[in-house]
Order: sequence, then structure tokens, then C-alpha cells
Amino acid sequence: MERRLSIKGRRELTRPAVYAGLAVIVALLPLFFESPYILHILILTFIYIIATVSFRTIVISGQFPLAHAAFMGIGAYLAAMAAKWLGMSPWITIPLSALITAGIGMLIGYPFSRLRSLYYAMGSLFFGMGIIQVIYAGGSWTGGYSGLTGIPALLPGVGSKVPYYYFFLGLALVSIIALYRIEFSRIGTNLKAIAQSHVVASSVGINEGGYRILAVGVGCFFVGLAGASYAHYNMVLSCSSFNFMATLWLVMYVLIGGVSSFAGPIVGTIILIIIPEYFRDLKMYSPFVNAVILGIVVYLMPQGLVGLPRLVKSKFTERRKTKKVNHAS
Amino acid sequence: MELITATITNLLILSSMYILVALGFAFLFSMLGILNLAHGAIYMLGGYIGLSLIMALGLNQWLALLLTTLIVATFGIFLEKYCFRPFVGDFNRIITICVVITVVLQTGVNIIAGTQILSLPPFAEGVLHIGPASVSYERIVTFAIGAVLLLAITWFVNRTKWGQQMQAISQDLEGAYLQGINVHRVSALATFMGCGLAAIAGCLMGAYLCLGPFMGDFMLVKVLMLTIIAGVGSISGIFIAGIILGSLDSILPLLVSGAASDATAVGILIVLLLIRPQGFFGHEVEM
Repeated sequence: MERRLSIKGRRELTRPAVYAGLAVIVALLPLFFESPYILHILILTFIYIIATVSFRTIVISGQFPLAHAAFMGIGAYLAAMAAKWLGMSPWITIPLSALITAGIGMLIGYPFSRLRSLYYAMGSLFFGMGIIQVIYAGGSWTGGYSGLTGIPALLPGVGSKVPYYYFFLGLALVSIIALYRIEFSRIGTNLKAIAQSHVVASSVGINEGGYRILAVGVGCFFVGLAGASYAHYNMVLSCSSFNFMATLWLVMYVLIGGVSSFAGPIVGTIILIIIPEYFRDLKMYSPFVNAVILGIVVYLMPQGLVGLPRLVKSKFTERRKTKKVNHAS
Repeated sequence: MELITATITNLLILSSMYILVALGFAFLFSMLGILNLAHGAIYMLGGYIGLSLIMALGLNQWLALLLTTLIVATFGIFLEKYCFRPFVGDFNRIITICVVITVVLQTGVNIIAGTQILSLPPFAEGVLHIGPASVSYERIVTFAIGAVLLLAITWFVNRTKWGQQMQAISQDLEGAYLQGINVHRVSALATFMGCGLAAIAGCLMGAYLCLGPFMGDFMLVKVLMLTIIAGVGSISGIFIAGIILGSLDSILPLLVSGAASDATAVGILIVLLLIRPQGFFGHEVEM
């Protein structure tokens, strides 16, 4: 008993140390990679990590939103339009549009909380497409089909990507810590209970609709944050980054990593953004790299990349067991 | 008058094509719960195979249509066996494998054919004059093929043994197993038919409108809408939902301009979904 406790205690000490070490390594990366292109890829990875981790927050409540990239688009376009047409500072538009995105998400989540499983997914899919069409119909306000240009920069007058890198690293870290705290709090437990059985969850007094709307609100807040800061970083927005296929790729990032664990979306995003960039020279053939990664994971790893260590371990123990059985016979 | 006939023929053609593509999707969805997101890419593949048979091999159009259907339908059996069957019941892996299929097909077509907009040669030429109205034979032929196929499929599903086995599976998978129905064979048949229908629709739409590597995305979204509005496991529901979608897509652009008409259509569909989440005709599935 005492020994087990001490192992647990040691783990509680080592885990944060490992994470802090990883964060320090990531923070030191700009010292080794000076090319703006690599920093740009890393910044995109941070933005998409915020989006995918917040996607998982909605998924653990048993809802499968197929409008997540569209919500990112709402955040991005709101921030861009407020900064461009109303002349607001990016430091105000980013939190403001994240809040408005969360509000829109909760407003939509209210009628949609009637829909379950696949029907929720389809309802949110229709909503996401509607958002894209509204942006197309927006004319000169949203830039329509040609996209919105001339968005004020987050850090005006900064030529290097390094300050942006640290800004997005900080944003991603804060978002990950906040979402982690939410998932392993009482709220997260209630959300997981609703996902397992909404009947049992409501019978023990969990407000199903309320918690589901809350999950959507939290998820949309962070994805709005990611979208708004992306708008001020990229300074050009186009609708195609937020359409159905974009949502589907966001879902792929999450599923490749493994939806059952918190680290899944982070691992999946890193793998699916950085490895295809490595094969960029293939040009037209490069989507095949994505397809190969997805194919390997889907055929060999039912739990996603995060489930890989456990899978390998169970394979080894299985082999040992069958060996023993063979000896016995 | 010109506008009215154009709208009506548009409505009929769009509805029949949507229904053709959606039937194959709905078979798989209602029988095994497979959300086949690759169906749009299969539809696109049909159009391109038809085009290459006509252009590269110089085949007669009707022969090419028949061959395309057979090729794509056989490809569907392959898909069912190696891509769908191992993952039945696992929603996440099904959509992942469907994205893989879509990416492979779209990228392959993109590399071989290029991104330029192509078009199949028309299946019929000339214009038919009835009183003040005039309709091109192309439209009549497209709609006629669609309508005949839809009638044939309805007959097949309702009257033949295979079709009744399909209905049994979509009502209750385990019950069908217990009755001695070979579920794998029937689902392979359903995929065969579904992919064949999508290929025919791809060829017809490729001649009626145009071909592009990403034309499947648009159709996939329409098919998803249609299946959800119709509900699971109802063939007549798909017909009615197809007509609703087709009329929204052909009439709304007359009333509202540009992208706003698409937004309105989506809004109407969301309201329909909220009124009856389980669809208007079928039964609800738990996934």
C-alpha cells in the first residue's frame, strides 16, 4: 500500500516536471530554427492545437460538432471586421470576438441541445454551411468570395516571427491549461456522465441541456480565440479555411491523435501538420502523405496515436501468454 | 415562359440526380450505420471515368455510361469489403477511412486530369418545342434516365427478395442475422448498387453541368441533407426530401440573389431538422 502511494506521489511530481520540460523545449525552438517559414508552421500548429483541444471539450459531452471550423471563422471574421471597419485595437477585438463566438455557440446550442448524436452532428454541419454562405453573401463587409484583406496586424511594425511565436505559444499553453482544468473538474465529470448516458445523468440531477450548452460555449470561446488571433496574425482571411472540408480536417486531427485522451488532439495536430510539411516537395502528390498517415492509424491503431503504447504493451503480454500456454500444452 | 420551363426542368433534373446519389448513401447508412463521406468522391469518379472512356478510348457514350457504372460499382464492392466492413459500428474510424478514400480519389483525379473544368459530351442534342415552351433533349434524356432508374430501384427494393433482405437489415440488423440473411453479401450488393447509381449521376451531371475534382463535396453535402431530412430507412422519404431540396435549389435563386439563397436554403433545412430531428419519414437511430 505504502509503495503504491509513493509511486503515485512520484508520478504526481514527475508529470508536471515532464510537461514543464516539454514547454521549455518548445519555447527554446526559435533559437534553433530561424527560418520564418518553420516558425510560421509552428504558429499554425499552435492555433490548430487550440481549435482541436476545444473541439474535444465539446466531444466529451457526447456531442459531435461538425461546425467547429465555421466557429473559428466567426471569431476570425468578427475580429477582422471590428479591427478593419471600426478601427478597434487587436487586443480588444480578440477577447471580444471570442466572447461573441461563445455567445453565438450557446444561442445555437440551445435549440440544438434537443438533437442527439448523429442528428446533432448534422444540425451543426448545416449551421456551419449556413455561416459560410452568410460570409459569402456579406459583400464588401466580409470580402465575399475574394476574401478579406488588409486586417490590422497584432504586433504592428514587427518584422520577425519570433514575437508572434511566443504570443501563440503562450495563448496555446493558457488555453490547454484552462481546458484541462475544466475537463478534470466537476463540470468535466458531469459532461462525461452525460455522454455515457443522458438518462442516468439527468436522473442523478445533472442538468443535461445546461451542461451541453456550457460545453459548446467553452469550446466556441477557445476556438473563437484561435480564429481571432489567426485573423490578426495572417492579416488575410478566406472562406475556404473555414468550410466543411476544413471542419473535417479538424476532426481528422482529433481522431488521429485519439479522442479518448486529452493529449490526443495535441499529438494528432502536431503529426498531421508537421509531417505533411516535411514532404512539401511532392507538391501535387502531398495530400497522399496525409492519406497514408490516416490509413495507417485507422487500420492499425483503433484508439489513435495516443493508444499506441498501450497497444504495443498488450501485444507483448499477449505473445508472452500464448508462449506460456504453448509450453504448458 | 422560358424562365418557368427552365426552372421546372432544372427542378426535375436536380431532384432526380440528388435522389440517385442519395439512394446509395442511404442504403449503407440505414443498413449498417455507415456514414459514407466518400460518396461524393465516388460520384466525381464516375464522371471522370465516363469522360476518360469517351475521350481516351473513343467509346460510344451509352456504352461508356454502362461500363462506367460497372467499373465504379465493382470498386464499391472492394470498398465495402476492405474499407467499411472492418469498421462497422465504429463511427470515428468510418469517417476517417472515408476521408482517406476522398483524399486519394480527389488527389488522383487532380493529378491525372488537372483542375480545369471539363465536361462530358451531351447525351442528346437538339431542342424540343411544345407550344410556347422549348426544352432541350439533353435535359429530357437526363431526367428520363434518372426517373427510369428510380422506378427500377423502387421496384427492386420493394418487390425482389434481395430488396426485402435489404429492408430487413435496415429495420433490425440482429434480427436479419437470425433469419439467416447473409448480411455481408446483401451489404456488398447495396454498395454495388449505390456506387453504380452515383456513377450514373456523375456522368449525367458531368454532361448537364461540368466536371471538376471537387464537385463531389457539393453533392456530398446535398446528400447528407437529404438523408437526414428524409430519415433513416425510408425510400419514399428520400424521394420527397429530394424534391424538396431540388425545388429549394432551383426556385430560391429566382427570389433571393447569390449566396443569400444558399444561406436561406440551409436555414430552412435547420428549421426542418429542429421540428423533427429523426427525419420526416424514417425511424431514429442510436449511434
